[in-house]
Amino acid sequence: MNAKPFHLNRTLLILIILLVVIAIWKPVALIYGFQRGGLYALIALPLALILGIIGILNLGHGDFLTLAMYIGYLLFENLKIDPLLSMVPLFFIFLALGMGIYMITIKYVLKSGELNQLILTFGISMVIIQMAELIWTTRPRNLYVSYASSSVSFLDFSVGTYEFLYPALAIGVLIALRLFLKKTKLGQAATAVGQNPRGAEIVGIDTNRVYFTVFSISIGILGIAAGVMLPRTSIFPLTGSPYTLKSFALVAMAGLGDLNGILIGGITLGIAEAVIQSIPGYGGWSDLVFFGVLLAVILTRAYRRSES
Amino acid sequence: MLKIEKLNVKYGKIQVIWDLSMSIGNNEAVGIFGPNGAGKTTLINTMLGFLKPESGRIAFEDNSLIGLKTHEIARRGISVVPQERELFPFMTVEENLRLGAAYIPHALNKVDENLDLVFGIFPILKERLKQQAGTLSGGQQRMLAVGRALMGSPKLLILDEPSLGLQPSLVIELFQKLKEIKRLGVSVLLTEQNVKQGLKVIDRGYVLENGRIVMEETSQKLASSPHIQKSYLGV
Amino acid sequence: MKNRTGLIIAVVGVLSVMISLPYYSGAYFLSVTMTILLNMTLAVSWDMMLRTGQLSFGIAGFFGIGSYVSIVAVSNFGVNNVVSIFLAAAFVAVIALALAFAILKLRGIYFAITTLALTMVFSVTIRNMPTLTGGSGGKVLYNTIFNGDTTKIYWLILTMALFTILLSIVFEKTRVHYAISSIRNDEVVAKSSGINVFKYLTVLFVITAMIQGVAGAIYTQQYGFAYPETAFSLDFLMLPMAMALVGGIYSTWGSVIGSVVLGLVAEYLRLVMPHGSKIIYGIIVILIILFLPKGIYGTLESKLRTTRNGARK
Repeated sequence: MNAKPFHLNRTLLILIILLVVIAIWKPVALIYGFQRGGLYALIALPLALILGIIGILNLGHGDFLTLAMYIGYLLFENLKIDPLLSMVPLFFIFLALGMGIYMITIKYVLKSGELNQLILTFGISMVIIQMAELIWTTRPRNLYVSYASSSVSFLDFSVGTYEFLYPALAIGVLIALRLFLKKTKLGQAATAVGQNPRGAEIVGIDTNRVYFTVFSISIGILGIAAGVMLPRTSIFPLTGSPYTLKSFALVAMAGLGDLNGILIGGITLGIAEAVIQSIPGYGGWSDLVFFGVLLAVILTRAYRRSES
Repeated sequence: MLKIEKLNVKYGKIQVIWDLSMSIGNNEAVGIFGPNGAGKTTLINTMLGFLKPESGRIAFEDNSLIGLKTHEIARRGISVVPQERELFPFMTVEENLRLGAAYIPHALNKVDENLDLVFGIFPILKERLKQQAGTLSGGQQRMLAVGRALMGSPKLLILDEPSLGLQPSLVIELFQKLKEIKRLGVSVLLTEQNVKQGLKVIDRGYVLENGRIVMEETSQKLASSPHIQKSYLGV
Repeated sequence: MKNRTGLIIAVVGVLSVMISLPYYSGAYFLSVTMTILLNMTLAVSWDMMLRTGQLSFGIAGFFGIGSYVSIVAVSNFGVNNVVSIFLAAAFVAVIALALAFAILKLRGIYFAITTLALTMVFSVTIRNMPTLTGGSGGKVLYNTIFNGDTTKIYWLILTMALFTILLSIVFEKTRVHYAISSIRNDEVVAKSSGINVFKYLTVLFVITAMIQGVAGAIYTQQYGFAYPETAFSLDFLMLPMAMALVGGIYSTWGSVIGSVVLGLVAEYLRLVMPHGSKIIYGIIVILIILFLPKGIYGTLESKLRTTRNGARK
């Protein structure tokens, strides 16, 4: 995992100033963006894990999320499992799915180069999208639970309270992941593999086992994210797709291996998106925030590298 | 303790190692000398399981190593100091050292003992305990790599071109340390282009040229051999 | 010599069959052929870029831009339909050239992801310029090209496909090929042997983007509409990729064979299962990467080569 691309302190300072300005200018956008940003971070964390440790960019990332939401929807419709509760079974179902996908596909492209890896995960992405279309068609599904639509009023505006779960869960997952990487033997091995896979092998670390674990846990986390998103998200075959690139944007922005940076970045971009969305007539451009940041980050890095 | 017989290794379509046989005895230090591109690193990568040989046998303590994964070979008691060092750059010196033992079952209960041993040989590592490995100087990184390898309580320590990129005074220091390590009862396999220094440490040496062993002699005989003197020592 | 005569006869034969196809083929088969030729064009152009070692996910992006330039030129500015295709080519070329300076320094994941992100940027931009592009409601063309004469449209698509194949062969058979594959194999070596890596990448990037833009323009002219979802649909990335992979990457004939084989298979599947038949493309891509990374043509070629070598021994 690479060094941090910027100093956190300076970034934090700029961030705080910006936040204060936005808080005065558009308080609703600030809160809304904070909630959404938490969700972005929650979804980006597992992508960062797979990219940072296995070195594979999983282009099917957002589509696993879609699939998890469909399964959560089925659990709710058929077994009356509350979406928030369904996070638990979804985590385990997707942990198992991650294991399976790793064993039958990822394992075989570990050494076959970036091109093949990208094409493979792109293929997985397409299979999930088309499968969703085949089974559930493009008709959106929505799921209603009363607690998800509660809101709280400040001064003269109101914001949804349910969405505060997003940043809360993101922080929870972040803490759990950091503990895993720092305190468990497998987690330490994963950190070592992320920094130097060859070095890890010569000190006796079974890299294949690390990759297997990291991949399955990451896909499992998407199950958790899907559970929390269910009550407030319309589900269709492309629901999750945009999150792949958005997650990558966050990882690129934070730098590989900087999990905290993903949370900060996610909230920042979430707020930026919400602010643009709140400007009448220009809301549609908010989608460009992530892609713009992604391109800017990648291009400045490439430029700097060619300079030095 | 290590026995290689009739080993043939291809790298892509090019054959790099031809019918190579060699052995290392208990607590013996063996050197492999040869020019750049002779196949020294390929040989080591094959022993470590990074490359699969076309044919031949590699046995460590009478068990075949062929087909084993690199981490399994490491757990059998073979530690390596690779040419590129392969440290964990964003971890501290201490974390690097501890990782050297953490996944080797027989080294787990000897961590403290081995740490003391490593600090005894390389006091500088103790001073830099909390420093990130990536920020160490080249010489210190090499020492850390040796230290990390020792943490695994190896029976066989392999060093691939340990003098590469080090300034001469450090090279001399490093080879003195290697003598100390050998006294611990560890077998050593060393590949070197710096034959002069290498000869001071080893008991016996092979000369590898174009993927073939062209000479096998004790250290004294190698030092006096005309071929070695002409091609490697520049006498 | 005998071989060469045979080759010429075969080429002339295939060409005359292809050119005269509208005279004896039914409308249905003709439309299937047009779809295959369109995807073939995209597949070959994608593979041309891939031969430099750069995986581009930008097909859909340039395809979409070409689509929109052409339809906007005709319906907003009254440009002639045929001219609008050239206009689309020029427009895409300018964009690609401008982008080239920024993104051709990138490699691997970063190049791929940037081209994918650019596709999204293009589609968001188009969607947010409703006065010009119709926004997310899309745009319909009332005066289609050649007044909807399928035969002429077929010839147009055939010309595009043949031109692309020819260009790809030229790149394969000339000095360019050496430069391109050396960039893919080892860029440092390529640079040190005096190859201007950036120049070759730029030329290829701009040319393949133009081809993709033209394909988008012709597609839009053929069907007479453009919506952000369809013009920038990742199908135009997935299908050609799958075709090139099935046939075998890094070769013109691989993509050509792949698009014919997969095009026919897909058409059949579309008939038996109208929904979600595209799942087959994804599955095929995965299977090819896992089991047959050289594709049909590549595998046959290397099999032939080894048996020939074996016979010589």
